[in-house]
Amino acid sequence: MSYYLDNQAAKPVDQRVLDEMLPYFRENFANPASLHCDGDVATDVLTESRKKVAEFINAPNASDIIFTSGATESNNLALIGTVLRNQKKGNHIIISEIEHISIHNIAKYLERQGFKVSKVAVDQYGIVRLDKLEKLITDETILVSITTASNEVGTIQPIEEIRKITNEHNILYHTDAIPSQSVIPIDVQQLPVDLITLSSNEIYGPRGVGALYLKKGVRVNPIIIGGGQERGFRSGSENIPGIVGFAKAAEIMSREIDVEAKRFTVMKEKLIKNVLETIPKSYLNGHPTKRLPHNAHFRFDYIEGESLILGLKEHNIAAATGSACSSKTLEPSHTLISMGLLHEEAHGSLLVSLGRTTREGDIDKLIKELPEIVSRLRKLSPLTPPELLKQIN
Amino acid sequence: MKSTQYSEKVMDHFRNPRNVGVIENPDGYGKVGNPVCGDLMEIFIKIRKNKAQEDIIDDIKFRTFGCGSAVATSSMVTTMAKGMKVDDAYKITRNDVADELDGLPPIKMHCSNLAADALQAAIDNYRTGKEPLVEVTHSCTTDIKVILGVDEFLGKGVYKKVDDPSKLKDKRVLILDYGDKSLELALELTKYTGRVIVLTSAKSMPGSQELKMRLKSSDVKLLYDSELLEIHGTDEVEKVIILDHDEEEKYDLYVDSVIIIDEN
Repeated sequence: MSYYLDNQAAKPVDQRVLDEMLPYFRENFANPASLHCDGDVATDVLTESRKKVAEFINAPNASDIIFTSGATESNNLALIGTVLRNQKKGNHIIISEIEHISIHNIAKYLERQGFKVSKVAVDQYGIVRLDKLEKLITDETILVSITTASNEVGTIQPIEEIRKITNEHNILYHTDAIPSQSVIPIDVQQLPVDLITLSSNEIYGPRGVGALYLKKGVRVNPIIIGGGQERGFRSGSENIPGIVGFAKAAEIMSREIDVEAKRFTVMKEKLIKNVLETIPKSYLNGHPTKRLPHNAHFRFDYIEGESLILGLKEHNIAAATGSACSSKTLEPSHTLISMGLLHEEAHGSLLVSLGRTTREGDIDKLIKELPEIVSRLRKLSPLTPPELLKQIN
Repeated sequence: MKSTQYSEKVMDHFRNPRNVGVIENPDGYGKVGNPVCGDLMEIFIKIRKNKAQEDIIDDIKFRTFGCGSAVATSSMVTTMAKGMKVDDAYKITRNDVADELDGLPPIKMHCSNLAADALQAAIDNYRTGKEPLVEVTHSCTTDIKVILGVDEFLGKGVYKKVDDPSKLKDKRVLILDYGDKSLELALELTKYTGRVIVLTSAKSMPGSQELKMRLKSSDVKLLYDSELLEIHGTDEVEKVIILDHDEEEKYDLYVDSVIIIDEN
């Protein structure tokens, strides 16, 4: 029995999605570009799938959806494609300090190519500072890319205000919607963002598929050149089984998102309340209320996150941390640092994310085991003050 | 290999670490690492002579803040060294410790494999015969002029006095330790914001005895043995660069306000 609480890292494919996909591996395997009847079937299913994904975000035209190989590619196409397309208008883009690592690294790449990149600061809760955003905008600014919510601490961003500001200055607005995609509905008619990154796995579809929403009239230069699929924006024979799965996942998610979000909120509140009450010197990272329903992000003084994850692993509990010791670069999470945490505080963080398969028993298990694991590591740690040691002994 | 893909032996020492704790009045004490980097190890040793009048490690204890391999290597090095001749124990290398643990993930070989270094530091401390761990408390004497950005951001996040602390409500505040007055202000500010950090050049809790007690039980965060180098931002303070003297390492800290109250 395992207790999976790392849904922001990966989600299982929904059985209903898998069933929908299977025929497209062997029976209906044809290429939509082929002129024969089998090719026509593939073209129809591609059209149908595009429509379903468009409906998921209430996009007026199915053709606004460009299928990609996933969120990372969508982010690449959005940022690199936009700056290449708009080089004559300007050479400056703005991202925020709390973007996903892919956005940060794409921005770094663009800087090396001679483009200018600014990063908007966030407050202690991880909310983008709108006053700072306004001040960073110059005549050269062509794109603002700010996520819908922090993928780590789950803080929801003021995207409506960001849209207002970018509109006033006539600047394109891209948002990476991955963090909130499975818990907060997106409606591009209510909130007309120009480009949106979407992922299939984030809504319990297969990995290796994603999409970039391009508002009608918004153009990007392709970054993958080939046979001109996806209106020329993204070449390569379409991943039909993956796209069918993505579309099914989107259809299910549209129906179930509100109920799921409510279910997560109840479990998340219970977890936060329990952890903060039972574990001394424990803190909630991010905003107390403006946070994703399925995200709880803690930190514990005097201990290190990788040890915490290993301790949880002993009880078959799967969760994540922003500690440097668990990363490839040995740097702690840039999000936590930009919120004002010290390195040693960022090292002691724990990210718990709920998903469709999460049951109350998973949360109860974590609530039961966590205090003991934290105490054990604190007893080992030279940083734990004697007063606290007395308390936990 | 993933950073957390550990051998069964590593996991055994992580689960049941041997020789955890502190030795009162040790013959040698070694401390390596830095919590900023995510690892801090302390080793305590007690020495006795054998019949040949050679130094033997009679008892050894450790405390560690760090990842799985930091804990396991600390535990392993104490197991290996216990009962050993001091001269032999001094020769234990990081690789020996890793080998005894059936290997470590490559990325962990340098960052979290400091246990052998901690043992050597403890033996060095024993051999030089110095009193282990002498800490001197003194207040900050940072020259205000050397901090880059103070003039640029004066009134825009940098303040030399605070008349109305409620204006700093919910702000992330860094206060430089310029004596008791600045520490009093830090304590006062905790009523208005959850994030008050005091930066001091002292190596332990600064201030009068009474202030020390109050600081200890407060939510004020202390940065010891540190120096403020630079203040950055677009138009207001956004982050500062701090030098940790203990580690000779610079790092960024994101704050909204920097308070410099020079009593002189």
